[in-house]
Amino acid sequence: MSKGFQIAGGATLIALLLGWYAASNLQEGASFTYYKTLGEFAASPEAQSGIPARVHGYVVPESIQRDVEGQRVTFAVQATPPHAGGPSDVTMPVVFASLETPDMFKGGAEVVLEGRLARDGATSHFAADKLLAKCPSKFEGVEGATAAGGTARPPSTKG
Amino acid sequence: MSEIGAVSLRLALLLAAAGFGAAIYAGVQRNPEWTRVAERSVGVVFALVTSAMVALFLCFARYDYQLVYVAAHSARSMALPYRLAALWGGQAGSLLLWLWMLSAYATAAVWFHRNRARVLMPWVVAVLLANAIFFLVLLVAVTDPFEKLPPGHVASDGSGLNPLLQHPVMLIHPLMLYTGLTGFAVPFAFAFAALVSGELGTAWFRTTRRWTLFPWMFLSIGILLGGRWAYEVLGWGGYWAWDPVENASFMPWLPATAYLHSVMIQEKRGMLKTWNLLLIGLTYTLCLFGTFLTRSGVVQSVHAFAQTPIFTSLFLGYVLVTAIAFLTALWIRRKGIRSEVRLESMVSREASFLLNNWVFIAILAMVFWGTLFPVFSEALTGNRRAVGPMWFNLFGSLLAPLLLLLTGIGPLIAWRRASVANLRRQFVWPTALGVLTAAGLGIALGAQISLYAYVAWSLCAFVIGTIVQEYVRAVRARTRKGDENALQALAELLRRNQQRYGGYIVHLGVVFILIGITGSVLNEQKLENLRPGDELTIHDYHMKYLTAEALPAQHYGGAVARLALYRGDQPLAVMAPEKRMYWLEEQPASIPAVYSTLREDLYVILTAIENDGSATFKVYRNPLVNWIWIGGVVFVLGTLTVMWPHPERR
Repeated sequence: MSKGFQIAGGATLIALLLGWYAASNLQEGASFTYYKTLGEFAASPEAQSGIPARVHGYVVPESIQRDVEGQRVTFAVQATPPHAGGPSDVTMPVVFASLETPDMFKGGAEVVLEGRLARDGATSHFAADKLLAKCPSKFEGVEGATAAGGTARPPSTKG
Repeated sequence: MSEIGAVSLRLALLLAAAGFGAAIYAGVQRNPEWTRVAERSVGVVFALVTSAMVALFLCFARYDYQLVYVAAHSARSMALPYRLAALWGGQAGSLLLWLWMLSAYATAAVWFHRNRARVLMPWVVAVLLANAIFFLVLLVAVTDPFEKLPPGHVASDGSGLNPLLQHPVMLIHPLMLYTGLTGFAVPFAFAFAALVSGELGTAWFRTTRRWTLFPWMFLSIGILLGGRWAYEVLGWGGYWAWDPVENASFMPWLPATAYLHSVMIQEKRGMLKTWNLLLIGLTYTLCLFGTFLTRSGVVQSVHAFAQTPIFTSLFLGYVLVTAIAFLTALWIRRKGIRSEVRLESMVSREASFLLNNWVFIAILAMVFWGTLFPVFSEALTGNRRAVGPMWFNLFGSLLAPLLLLLTGIGPLIAWRRASVANLRRQFVWPTALGVLTAAGLGIALGAQISLYAYVAWSLCAFVIGTIVQEYVRAVRARTRKGDENALQALAELLRRNQQRYGGYIVHLGVVFILIGITGSVLNEQKLENLRPGDELTIHDYHMKYLTAEALPAQHYGGAVARLALYRGDQPLAVMAPEKRMYWLEEQPASIPAVYSTLREDLYVILTAIENDGSATFKVYRNPLVNWIWIGGVVFVLGTLTVMWPHPERR
């Protein structure tokens, strides 16, 4: 066998191994889907069966309530930006089970929620375990906007 | 003032085009006079771009808010250094900075080779000017930094700069990064010139090695400073999140580092010529691609600038043309760059360097795949998915130990074919040190740390063992000969063989960095709501919340909380995390307080002051983080040792 074949064979083997490793890890939750809008989410199977999902929306102004005793924040999201004018169509109540809200989180902020729909009797709310907030795109470079959303970041980063 | 800048850029475009033509003519005809003409045009282009830079700086300094760009990226309330640094706070200005550095590098390359590499130089100039022309076209026709407000509009103040960027590190981090990224244009130009002219002897890569080392060092500094900034400003307790933009700066670093290793094989054994050319091409293409990636919005990034489709397609075209042109030249010259010898044994220095290159490329493949996964997954399945830090860390924890192992083995194993005696002589002590470290960790930490951490830290000890052994043996050999003491011997060693012993210092820096990164397996974090007088405990520290008070109003307002930090009964520090609100920019920012020691960092963020008077804090204990920054300093010292001009060898 020539050297070229050996090298090509070795490289293919390594690529296959890495590919397999990548694929096997993807199924174990290391990857995630991009978000659905509020309207898409309401109509999706995830909403019906309480499967984890990422949902995009805008915080309804003056809906934020920090419950220090209960260690949680409740608020509502709507599908359209509140300052865009016109009535808000879909809204959804959200319970975020932590007090650790990102800097950009405030009434009117654009947010992406990770969690699942929880039913309590006739009503339902979105139980979020992650909350990312984006600043209104006032700047050309929105550097650090999502990065400052502390909860979206991993607790540690290693080599 | 802005007119001077605008005119300078247009003149520079003309001159660059003329110089490019002259360079091509000089290259084809092998005409020394026209080569000089082309080389001079490089200097003129540099002078013109410099005057455009100065003009834009002055517009920022003099509050010229009639310029759209100045108004969009600065404000009167900002201090002068930040107003000046705002020049590279947006798209047009950062392209101008890129162009300026590119033309500075081109001028330096022309100057240093005014009496050398004469056959290569016209092609070098042609490649560099072609790149400059692309940026000039962008700046003149697509995103003009000197664009004015429409007639009749008057602006008395700007809208300010993202407050997160108003930080001392941000004054220099982009400069370092750009000094790195643009600098790879020079080795690329030399490699390209060698291919086009067919002068594929030793001249191009001896030159290229030096020209690679320099931007490589700055790119490394830039990456580390970026991490440092994230740690001090973004307030999430970490320094690296595998964000697309971080990856974009890391990707060119990988083939550049691989090249710096494999070029030694070419130097000593005449092997891997094609491979080395490929690595150089890959490095520069990735520099451009990374810039494209972070500006195009192809992948969601925290660094994305506002987009115009024309800019995106032009830039992508530029990246592709660069890559295709280089590969074509490489294909045409493939016969001239065959290896002179073959690999003799897998147990040899050549083989270990080859493996090291493969690992670097594997890491590159992983980062590339992970960064572009949203694009690939959408193309393949129609469902746009992304991978998170967890995925990168899994691969990192697999590949980093392999790289560490090779760092220890590579420099010590014999060329061609290692004998058993060679292996025993070189590796017994370092291996023993590695095993001892593993045992020590086992006793001290037991099951607290993962297998990865055991392997990584033990290998760090192994590598340190090899480095110390090399120094001790070499110093001893010199002192035994007679008239030198140990210190003189050490200095002489570094002076005479700076490449080798400087290289070990670089490796030591990398080991320190990996020790620090691996420390993250012991990270702890806590979120607690406290009233004044309450305490929280993390590991063997406790913190007492004293008070919160309003920040004195300035460019920003907000609150600062004060916590007393104790270890046992011993008071250590008062920590003062801030929650700021930048008025003009309408943006809040959490500024963490950090108590930093060699052993660990205590990192506190004021998450919120609650309505009931209590405050919510997020506290992190990050062991060994400081070793990352210490490693960075060692790394730079090592690179400087390698690069230091050697008077006798000139």
